[in-house]
Amino acid sequence: MRGAVVLWLAALLALPAAAREGPLLKSVFHRRVTAPDGTALALYRYVPDGGGGGKPAVLLVPEVGFGRGAYDFAGAGLARYLQERGRDVFVAELRGQGQAQAPRGWSLGQWISLDLPAVLDAVSAAHPGPVDVVVHGYSGGLVLAACAVELKGRVRRVVALSPVVLPEVPNATVAKVLREGGGLGRLARERAADFELLFTRGGRISPGEVSRLRLQVTDLSPVAARELFGWMVQGDLPLPDGSTFARRLPLYDRPTLALLAMQDNFAHPEFGSPLRELSPAEVKLELLTRLNLLSEDYTHLSLLHGADAPSEIFGPLLRFLDKADRSAQDAEELR
Amino acid sequence: MIPRLGVAAVLALCLAGCALPYVKPLPKEAIEHRIRTADGWELSLIEYPAEGPVRGRPVLLLHGIVANNRNMDLDERHSLARFLAARGRSTWNLSVRGTGGSDAPDTARGRQPGYDFDTIWKQDLTAAVAYVRARNGGQPVDFVGHSLGGLMLYAYLSQGGEGISAAVTLGSPARLDWGLRLTSLIPLAAWVVSPRWVLPMVGQATLAIPLTGTLKTDPVQALLYSAGNVEPETWKRLLANGVGDLSAGVALQLTPLVREGRFLSADKKVDYREAMARIRTPILVVAGKLDRVGVVPAVKDGYRLLGGPKEWRLIAEENGAQVDYGHLDLLIGERAGTEVFPHVLDFLDRHPDG
Repeated sequence: MRGAVVLWLAALLALPAAAREGPLLKSVFHRRVTAPDGTALALYRYVPDGGGGGKPAVLLVPEVGFGRGAYDFAGAGLARYLQERGRDVFVAELRGQGQAQAPRGWSLGQWISLDLPAVLDAVSAAHPGPVDVVVHGYSGGLVLAACAVELKGRVRRVVALSPVVLPEVPNATVAKVLREGGGLGRLARERAADFELLFTRGGRISPGEVSRLRLQVTDLSPVAARELFGWMVQGDLPLPDGSTFARRLPLYDRPTLALLAMQDNFAHPEFGSPLRELSPAEVKLELLTRLNLLSEDYTHLSLLHGADAPSEIFGPLLRFLDKADRSAQDAEELR
Repeated sequence: MIPRLGVAAVLALCLAGCALPYVKPLPKEAIEHRIRTADGWELSLIEYPAEGPVRGRPVLLLHGIVANNRNMDLDERHSLARFLAARGRSTWNLSVRGTGGSDAPDTARGRQPGYDFDTIWKQDLTAAVAYVRARNGGQPVDFVGHSLGGLMLYAYLSQGGEGISAAVTLGSPARLDWGLRLTSLIPLAAWVVSPRWVLPMVGQATLAIPLTGTLKTDPVQALLYSAGNVEPETWKRLLANGVGDLSAGVALQLTPLVREGRFLSADKKVDYREAMARIRTPILVVAGKLDRVGVVPAVKDGYRLLGGPKEWRLIAEENGAQVDYGHLDLLIGERAGTEVFPHVLDFLDRHPDG
C-alpha cells in the first residue's frame, strides 16, 4: 500500500515536469561548435513542426553573463515562442556563456573574430541561407559590429533588445563589478538586491523567475570585464582586426528593430538610441514604456521574461522578422 | 438665457470649490515685477531676493509646457526658487505669455492668440534675461529650465542669445520620435486644431483635482509623475496653482519633434538640433529615469548635441535616489530638495564665470 502511494506521488510530481521537459527532449538539439582556436561553444536548435523550411533560421545570442536560459526557461521564452510559430531557432552560447567553454582570459573580441563566425557557419550548415538574428544588450552591440564585417552578407534582419552602441558606465554597481574582475555570477547569487536593481527592478517578473535567473548568471573573465568597462568609459572598443566598434557602425546596414527597455539599469536605453544616427541601417526604434500603452516600463530581463513579454515584445519581434526583404518583395512584385 | 447663465455659474463655483483648498499664495518675500516684451505683452516675473550674503549670479527660472512659474515654487516644501534664494542666489521666476500672472491673448488689446514656440523664446525669454540683467548691474544670469523651458534655452543659445552664464535643463527632450503609437494621431490633431486656439488646460486641471487618486490606473499620473515620489496632496496643489493654458501654435510647432525627431523653427528654416552644436554655455542636463515625457534617450540626445562644456545627471534609484524620477518629480518630487536641487546649485556654483 505504502509503495503504491509513493509511486502515485512520484507520478504526480513527475507529470508537470514531463510536460515541461517533454518538448525539450523531442525538438531541441544540442551540439558542440568548435571555434578556430579549439574552444567548444554550445548551440541549441529548436526545430519547429514541419522543419521550418522556407523562412530564414533565427539565431538568438544572449547577453554577457547569460546563456540559453535567457531565451528558454522551463519550456517558455522567446526560443519556444518562435519555434511554435514555425521558425527554425538556434540559441548560441559563446565562450564564457552557459555550457560553452570559458578559456582563461577569454575576450569579447574573440566573440566577434572567432565565435560568431563559427556559430553562423554551424547554423548555415544546418539551415542554408541568410539568418535572422535576435540580440540582447552589450553582446547585442558586439553582434551588430560583427554583422558589418565578419558576418557581412549572411544576416538578413536583426532585432536588437536593449542594444548598446554608445555605452557609458551605467551606475556604480556595474562599475564595481567590472573593476573587480567581472563577477556578475557572484553578484547574482550573493547580492539579490543589486541583481534586481540592475536587471529586474520595476519589471513584471515573478519572484520565482527572478530567483531562477539569478542562478544562471556566469562571471566574465577579467579580460572581458576590462574590455567591457573600457568600452563604457571610452565609449569605444578596440577590436581584434585593428578597427574599433565606433568605426564599424557606419558599415552596419541590416534592417533593424531596436527595442529599448525604459527601466533598464544595465544597458540603458540611451546607450542604444544613437544607432539610427551612427549607422546607415534602416532602424526602427521603439521605447518600451507604459507611455506606449504597454503593461510596464520594461527592464533588462523583463523584456524577455516579463509576464506580458510574449504579447508585447515577442509578437512585434516576430512580425518584424516575418517581413520579407524589400529586395525580395520587389522581385516578387516584378515577377 | 438665465438658466444657462445659472448652470455656468454653478459650474464655475464647483470648479473654484475643487481648487480652493489647494490654492497657495506666494510667500511674503516674493516680489512681482511686471516686465514688457518687445511686442507689447506684459509678463509676470517673481523675484525671490537672496537670503543672507549673495553667493553668485542671479538665477532665472523657466517652467515647461502647460505650466506656469508655480512649478518652480509650489509651496514651502516644493520650491526650487526658495531653495536657491535661501542659499544666496537672487532668483527670478518667469511665467511666459498666456500662463500664470502674465498677459493672456486679448485681440481687443492687440495681443493675438496663436503665438508659437519661437515667439515665446524670442520675446519672453529675451525680455526676462534683459530685465534681470538690468536689475543686477548688467551681469549675466544663470538659468534653470524645466522641459520646454530647457528647449527654449537651447533655441535661444543656439541662435546667438546672450547674457546666460551657466544653465541647467531638467527633463528637456530634443526629439520625441520613439515609436509611440499615439504619434499616429498627430496628423489628425494637427488638421483639427487651429493654431489660433488656446487650449483650456487650467479648467481641465481644476476638474481633475477631485479625481486624483481615485483611478486604479491614472494615465495623467503615469505620464507626468511617479506615484512613489509625489504625494496626492502635492499633485492637487500643482493642479490648482501650476497649470497654464496652451497655445495651439506652440503645440503645432513642436509636432515634428514627435513625428520625425526634428526640432525646427516655426518657418522650418532653422534646425535647432543642428544649431545646438554652436552652444558654448556650460550646461548641466538632468533627466529622470522614469520620465515618460522627457524620456531619457530624448534628453540625452539633447545633451549629446551641445557643443560646449556639459555634464549629465540621471536621477534614478540606481544612482542613489530613493526612487526613479518622473517628469514633474524633478521639481515637485517629495525629495527633490535633497536629490535634485543640490545638483543644480552645485553646478551653477562651479561655473561662476560661465
